[in-house]
Amino acid sequence: MAGAGGFVEADNAEAIIARIETKSSKIESLLKQYKPVEALKTALEGSPPKTLDERCKSANWIVVHRALMAIKDIEGMLNALDVEYYDILMKYLYRGLSTGDRPTCDQCLKIHEKLTDRAGLGCILRCLTDTINTV
Amino acid sequence: MAVVDVHRFAESITCHAWSPDLSMVALCPNNNEVHIYKSSQEQDQWERLHVLEKHDQIVSGIDWSSKSNRIVTVSHDRNSYVWSLEGGEWVPTLVILRLNRAALCVQWSPNENKFAVGSGAKTVCICYYEQENNWWVSKLIRKRHESSVTSVAWHPNNILLATTSTDGKCRVFSTFIKGVDTKDPKAGSPAESKFGEQILQLDLSYSWAFGVKWSPSGNTLAYVGHSSMIYFVDDVGPSPLAQSVAFRDLPLRDVLFISEKMVIGVGYDSNPMVFAADDTGIWSFIRYIGEKKPESSGASYSSQFSEAFTKFYGQSKATTANEASESSKSREGVHDNCINAIVSLSKAGSPKVMRFSTSGLDGKIAIWDLENMEEELGHQF
Repeated sequence: MAGAGGFVEADNAEAIIARIETKSSKIESLLKQYKPVEALKTALEGSPPKTLDERCKSANWIVVHRALMAIKDIEGMLNALDVEYYDILMKYLYRGLSTGDRPTCDQCLKIHEKLTDRAGLGCILRCLTDTINTV
Repeated sequence: MAVVDVHRFAESITCHAWSPDLSMVALCPNNNEVHIYKSSQEQDQWERLHVLEKHDQIVSGIDWSSKSNRIVTVSHDRNSYVWSLEGGEWVPTLVILRLNRAALCVQWSPNENKFAVGSGAKTVCICYYEQENNWWVSKLIRKRHESSVTSVAWHPNNILLATTSTDGKCRVFSTFIKGVDTKDPKAGSPAESKFGEQILQLDLSYSWAFGVKWSPSGNTLAYVGHSSMIYFVDDVGPSPLAQSVAFRDLPLRDVLFISEKMVIGVGYDSNPMVFAADDTGIWSFIRYIGEKKPESSGASYSSQFSEAFTKFYGQSKATTANEASESSKSREGVHDNCINAIVSLSKAGSPKVMRFSTSGLDGKIAIWDLENMEEELGHQF
């Protein structure tokens, strides 16, 4: 494959992790205000981090995971989410499913069902074939 | 419905091409032969006239030239034959491609003095006829491609060639050959580059790319990626305008321009999709060409998918009664399996294509007519 010739490291890992921490605190406050949909939107912004550094990806995943687990109304969340975030959300769902952790998988499966209804199989295809922007 | 005729010729069809008068079709029934069928007066009566047996392995590409009535075939056996009709029989001429891997696709150039072959050897062969030695010579474009070349397409000017590859990129090369092509007197024409020179490389796809085609004027390129995306490039040249369109369903395998602003894509959904550009030049998915049955709830997947989904979602502790599982209607389309080729049935070089044919892994060839669909398809047509 063409390898990582698609993008250049946008910033170094430290800068990215710092950004993720800022996101994390924003999300915590949004969750406290019972705004899980806003929280997930914030978490998905700027994802996936344009880097090959595993720590950044894990840090971002933890943040997204936190927001995902807080979602109760899936339909509402998908209504509020922009179409361009569907592909990214799908990637995080698969990451969640790969953890094998029961509550995470339950939640991810529920969201996966609704998201596939909306976005179609093409969304899953794009998730599987994109080996460069992984989450 | 736009389908005019459907006929099952074999268990599976790899590729097909039509004769100049559109009365005969040459197809490969997924083996090393090429069968030529002629349609008779009655509907659905096809008679097999010839079987062209020269290749040792599957014939991966067939093209039938409309002016000179020659058939070119390429195969996984790394060979190519040009067939001419002499006294009612098709006589093959071997073309030595100098490949060490399978040939995957072939197309005659618009003037039919050259043909291009894409191969698994990461090369493209441009073959032309040398009068003095009375044989076909193959010139290779060896550089640039990082993986197999899946599809080739000629620009109307007979010199530029677009290729797609499993490295995800679409490239445009010049295939100018001294003695075969004439220099364009217009100054500044990009076609006067050296043979094999890369004019443009498009890096839009992360996954395998297939099915590249030029629009009738040669201004726009379209190709598909295996990630359920289709890419449109307007004003191909020094500053192209590229658009990536993501769509809902399974990936496409081939495309066809039916006008400057409308493209039909075919692929794993077994139902042709229509894409069009609006007045501002933005391309988007319009509809499936056939009517899709109204969905019972959201998903209209076939029973095979519904079973899989039920199993998948059933693993979750809180299972919702999955309504999608009852949509066990099988695909009521024309093709039952992946469509892997779409061929125009209009005169080469015409600005609008009114009829086209599709062939697929289900062994059927379907002929579609867009005559009465202008209203349905909208003003862009």
